Amino acid sequence: MTDEPVPNNLPPSVSVVVVDDHAIFRSGLRSDLDSRIRVVGEAATVEEAVAVVRARRPDVVLLDVHLPGGRGGGGAEVIAGCGDLGATTRFLALSVSDSAEDVVAVIRAGARGYVTKTISGAGISDAVFRIASGDAVFSPRLAGFVLDAFGTAAVASTGTELDRLSARELEVMRLIARGYSYKEVAKELFISVKTVETHVSAVLRKLQLSSRHELTRWAAERRLL
Amino acid sequence: MKPPLLRSPDGLVAGVCGGLAVHLGVQLRVVRVLMVLLALAGGAGVFLYAWLWIFVPMASDRVAAPLRFAPAALKTPPPPALFLPAATALPSPAAPHPPAASAEPGNAAPPVAGAFEPAPRRTGGRFRPGRKELLLGVALLLLAGVFTAQELGFAVSLRQVLPVAAAGVGAVLAWSQLDDARREGLRNKAGADRAAGLARLLLGLVLVMVGVLVMVSGTISWDLTWATLLATGAVLAGVALVLAPWALRFWKDFEDERAGRVREAARAEIAAHLHDSVLQTLALIQNRAGSEQDVVRLARAQERELRHWLYSDPAGHSGNLTERLRALAGEVEDSYGHPVEVVAVGDAPLTAGQEALAQAAREAIVNAAKHAGGTVSVYLEAGPSGSEAFIRDRGPGFDPLAVPADRLGIRESITTRMQRHGGTATIRSGPDGTEVRLSMPEQENRSHD
Repeated sequence: MTDEPVPNNLPPSVSVVVVDDHAIFRSGLRSDLDSRIRVVGEAATVEEAVAVVRARRPDVVLLDVHLPGGRGGGGAEVIAGCGDLGATTRFLALSVSDSAEDVVAVIRAGARGYVTKTISGAGISDAVFRIASGDAVFSPRLAGFVLDAFGTAAVASTGTELDRLSARELEVMRLIARGYSYKEVAKELFISVKTVETHVSAVLRKLQLSSRHELTRWAAERRLL
Repeated sequence: MKPPLLRSPDGLVAGVCGGLAVHLGVQLRVVRVLMVLLALAGGAGVFLYAWLWIFVPMASDRVAAPLRFAPAALKTPPPPALFLPAATALPSPAAPHPPAASAEPGNAAPPVAGAFEPAPRRTGGRFRPGRKELLLGVALLLLAGVFTAQELGFAVSLRQVLPVAAAGVGAVLAWSQLDDARREGLRNKAGADRAAGLARLLLGLVLVMVGVLVMVSGTISWDLTWATLLATGAVLAGVALVLAPWALRFWKDFEDERAGRVREAARAEIAAHLHDSVLQTLALIQNRAGSEQDVVRLARAQERELRHWLYSDPAGHSGNLTERLRALAGEVEDSYGHPVEVVAVGDAPLTAGQEALAQAAREAIVNAAKHAGGTVSVYLEAGPSGSEAFIRDRGPGFDPLAVPADRLGIRESITTRMQRHGGTATIRSGPDGTEVRLSMPEQENRSHD
C-alpha cells in the first residue's frame, strides 16, 4: 500500500487521535505521519482513550490493540465505549501481535482496518486517508486471516450470504495476501480501484457481522498466524 | 563438597543404595553388601533402608526445580549419576554418563549396569527388562535357602515363612506406590496411571493383611481372630473419621503448594527465556548502535524468535510445511537483512514434494532479497489438494528468458526442482516487481523418499 496514490476524494486534512500505551511509539508515530494529518489528542489507557475520543471527535483513531486499563478488553473495549459516535469516527487497529484472537476481536468490535506497527510512515498515512474516506484497510496478514477463517474454497452463492466469500472477494483477498496493493489488484483483475475497495469493504462487513461460529472458534484455536 | 543425598531414580528397590553410594563416594556394590549385612544383623539394615526411603528425596524431584535458571546452581556440578534425564526434567546440560558404570561381568552382586544407565522412559511396565528376572532370581534363591535349611535340620515351616514374605512384598508394593505418587504428582495430573496405581495399592494392602492375619491366626483361635478383626475395623473407621478433615486440609495445602510451584516454574522459564534471548539482543543492539543494518537485523531476528515462542502452539505444527517455510524465510532474512513477510493459510504435512516447494521458495526469496531488496512478500496456501506459494518483490524486474544459461539459480533450484516433483513454477516479472508462483499438487501415493 506504500506506493499508492492517495484517493482524490479526500478531505483536505484529517484529524486523528493516537492511542497507545508507549509514549515513544506515540511520538514516533506523530512525527512519521503525513503533514495533512493533524494529531488532535493522545491517550495511553482505555479510560483516557474513551474520554479523549469523545471530547475531540477525530476522523480517525489509531488504536493499539493491547491497552492497559478498563476491564482488560484493550482496543476492542475502546471501540465499544465509543459506539454511539457513529460513522463519523473510524478506528484503525495497530498491533504488534500476530494473534488471530486479538485481530478478530478488534475487527469485530468495529475497527475498519488492521496494520502491524512495523508499517512505514507513508504506509500508515495512506491507511489513515483510506479509513477517513470510508474504506477498509487490509494488510496482507489480515487478508491471510480472512482466508483462513472463511476457507479458501467456500464461495457464496448470493452476495448477501455472510458466512462465505464470493469468488471475486476470494480473488481480491488472495492478491492482497500476496502483497498486492489495491491498485495492483485492480490492474490484475481488470476492475477499478473503487470496485476493489467495495469488495474489501464487503469482506470487512462479513468479518464483522458473520455469525459463523467457526470464526471465533477458529481464532481461539489458531493462535499462530 | 559432597553431592547431596538424593535417591537414584533407577535403583533396584527405591534407589537408596545408589544415592548413598554417590553421596559417600563409595562403590555402589560396597553399599549394597553392607546394607544386606546390616539387614542380616537383626534387621537393622531393613529399618535403615526404610527410614532413608521415607526421608531422602528422589533425584528427579530435585531436578524439577528450575535448575537452568539459576546459574549459581551450575557451579557445583551435579552428581552425574543422579541427574539422569528423568522423563520431564529439564535436559541437564552437565550430565555426562560415566563410562565406568558399564557392567562388570561375572559379578555376583546385583549388577551395576542398569542402575546407572540413562533410564529409558518408563511408560509401560514399571520394571525394566532384567529387573523382573532379578526379582525372580532373588525369590528362587530365598526358596532354595529355605529348603537347604530344612535339609540341614532346621525346622523352617512354610507356615512361618509365607506370611512374613507376603507382608513384606505387600509393604514394598504399597510403598513403591507412595514413591510413584510423589513423582507423578509433580509430573502430571493426567492420572493415566491411576488404575495401575490403585491396583497396586489394593494388592499391597491385601497381601499385608493376609500375611498378618495368618501370622496371628497361628497363635490364637479363629473365633478370636474374627472378633479382633471386627474391633480393629471399627477402630480404623473411627480413626479415619476423626482424621478425615485433617487429611482433607493436608491435601488442599498440597494442591495449593503444587499450583504455586507450577506457577513459579513457569515464571522461571519465562525469565530464563527472556534472559537468554531478549536481554542478550538488547545488549547486542546497544553495542551495534552505530550500524543501522545490524540493529534492524538483530531486532527482526529477535522479534521472529519471540513471536515463535509466544504464539506457536505447543501441539506442534513442527515438521509441517508452514513451519518449514517460515524457518527458511527467517534464515534468508537473517543473511540478507531484508524483511520477509510470510502469510500462510492452511497447512500441509511436509512430504518430499512440499519440501521441494519450500526449498524452491527459499531460492526465490533469496533471489528477491539479493536482487530486488526491500520487503519480500511470501504467501503460502496449503491444503489437502496441494499447495501454492507466491514470492513477490518490488525490485526493477528482469526478463526470465534473458538470464544466461550458466546461472543455475532459477533454472535448477526453482523450475527444475519443482518439475522433478510434479509441480510447476511460473515467473512473472515487470517494472513493478517480480512474482514467482510455485505450485505443488499433493500426490496421495507418493512415499516419503
